[in-house]
Amino acid sequence: MTKLPASLEPDPVVEVYKKDIDFSLNLENLRLTVEERFKKLMALQRFAEELRRADKKRLRDDRL
Amino acid sequence: MTDYEALIRLLTESNVEFIIVGGAAATAHGSARLTEDLDIVYARSSENVARLVSALRPYQPYPRGAVPGLPFQWTERTIINGLNFTLITSIGAIDLFGELIGGGGFADLLPDCLELKLFGTSCLCLSLERLIQVKRAAGRPKDLEAIAELELLLAAQRPER
Repeated sequence: MTKLPASLEPDPVVEVYKKDIDFSLNLENLRLTVEERFKKLMALQRFAEELRRADKKRLRDDRL
Repeated sequence: MTDYEALIRLLTESNVEFIIVGGAAATAHGSARLTEDLDIVYARSSENVARLVSALRPYQPYPRGAVPGLPFQWTERTIINGLNFTLITSIGAIDLFGELIGGGGFADLLPDCLELKLFGTSCLCLSLERLIQVKRAAGRPKDLEAIAELELLLAAQRPER
């Protein structure tokens, strides 16, 4: 169980979720500046938008 | 895409009193989760509401996901008569909160903020511990995984005793 401040008693449901988190991604972020974290987020958004666009195109092409 | 740099610079350079909360605050603290909007708590004073309305006006704020053509007017009266707004603008998605469930308003959250030097400006961001408290208080099932990640980040910051 992770060590939390007294104001945050561990929640058993949240504790279950922690087991599946790949914390190596967070460690990578912690090495960045806050500004770099936001720039990375924007790059991720662009990637997500591109995936959505490609999926829409695939669905449209499948209907033809 | 939400242009965080443009939105944050716009708000700070317009002297809007606001605190970054939600997924963007989680990003600032090291979260690896994708968020697509900027959540802020804004001060409800008439002066601040006027600054907020004036700052966002050129970017055509409109209720996000709503059908086009609604008689939505971006005015100080709209903000004063409402509280929380989920908006899309030409520079991205922004959610304005007058209050957070379990967190209160701007003045209530102010003692639990950090100052971030970001994009050449300085702005306030909710502390990691308070962000977790607020997300827990909201009680939304979709936040459980986000809370788990934030608690791991908090534990990583705290030296073992």
